[in-house]
Amino acid sequence: MKNRTATFLCLVGLLALASERTLRAQTNTNAVVENDTNTAVTVVAMPVAPNDNTVLPPKPRPPTLIEADGPADFDLTKRRVTYRDNVRVNDPEMKLRCDWLAADLPQDGGHVTNIVAETNVVIDFTDNRGQTNHVTCDRAVYVFEAQTGTTNDTVTFTGNARVENAQGWLTGEPIYWDRANNHLRADNPKMIWRQNFNGAGAETKSPADNTNNLSAPK
Amino acid sequence: MTISVTRHPSLATALLAAGTILVFAIPNGRTQPEGVQHASNFTSVEYFEPPDQQQMKSRLSGAEAHPQPGGLLVIQQLKLETFTVDGKPELIVRAPECVYDTFNHVANSPGHLQAQTGDGKFRVEGDGFVWRQSDSFLTISNNVHTVIENTLK
Repeated sequence: MKNRTATFLCLVGLLALASERTLRAQTNTNAVVENDTNTAVTVVAMPVAPNDNTVLPPKPRPPTLIEADGPADFDLTKRRVTYRDNVRVNDPEMKLRCDWLAADLPQDGGHVTNIVAETNVVIDFTDNRGQTNHVTCDRAVYVFEAQTGTTNDTVTFTGNARVENAQGWLTGEPIYWDRANNHLRADNPKMIWRQNFNGAGAETKSPADNTNNLSAPK
Repeated sequence: MTISVTRHPSLATALLAAGTILVFAIPNGRTQPEGVQHASNFTSVEYFEPPDQQQMKSRLSGAEAHPQPGGLLVIQQLKLETFTVDGKPELIVRAPECVYDTFNHVANSPGHLQAQTGDGKFRVEGDGFVWRQSDSFLTISNNVHTVIENTLK
């Protein structure tokens, strides 16, 4: 499986390079990559932004805001809070909307370790290159675990999960967002790369009837 | 007049710090405030189960309390504090007014509420609430607004 995954990753990388070089002379085209639906688990790397090794001094971070029209339950015994009805999360790196959200209450000012958002989940997050990613799904689960030497900081999107950014869009079941490494990957993925070679503002049409139309980046 | 309600009668004296005038305590720890027209410095305390029965779990207090039929108290300037088992402040809730059921140890109000964790990094406010003292469960009914300081990366 590892060999197959690595091979597939290489193919995707080559495809991306090939798309960039060979499609310049063509008209607007979407490059479509589909996996074999019979494959049990196939992983596709979708670059969000390169890691930046520059060490910057820490700066104060604006707070995270959570608003809801409906009731919120604070279970102090289980240290759990649940929001309902038009839940909005406004974080410096992410905006989220959903109908139901549950989060643990951090101990002694610690880190939130688990958040579950369900029903009509819409997330917009900005990566460290400033690129906006738009996510829709039925359920998103955020997990943070800091253990010796490693940090697990991930969001898993399931249920009609789709991530769209300026490069294209990715569907999968599920899609994983590795926040620690700023990386997206998916099981059972379908990727559509957005290409625009005729200047900004041009509209890109999907050549295949089983893909969606995609607007070129403005 | 000061009213103190405690689920742990042996510690009642310690809770009546200043100006104790009257305590309505019955053997099972419940109160019977009928007949009292007005009280000040109301306090109700819940303790952890053994072996931490000496540790305060929550303290509900108010500047004034107006007894109502059925064991209810209308409390002005509510302040609710919860604590961890090692005594650290966990949550502090403030509301201008609430109705406290001294039998069931439940407080509720249609009015505004503000709350924050002991370290101040989690703050929430909203309209209308119910607080169940027995299992430390708070429901804020509408327009919930939460501010979390520096938690997500």
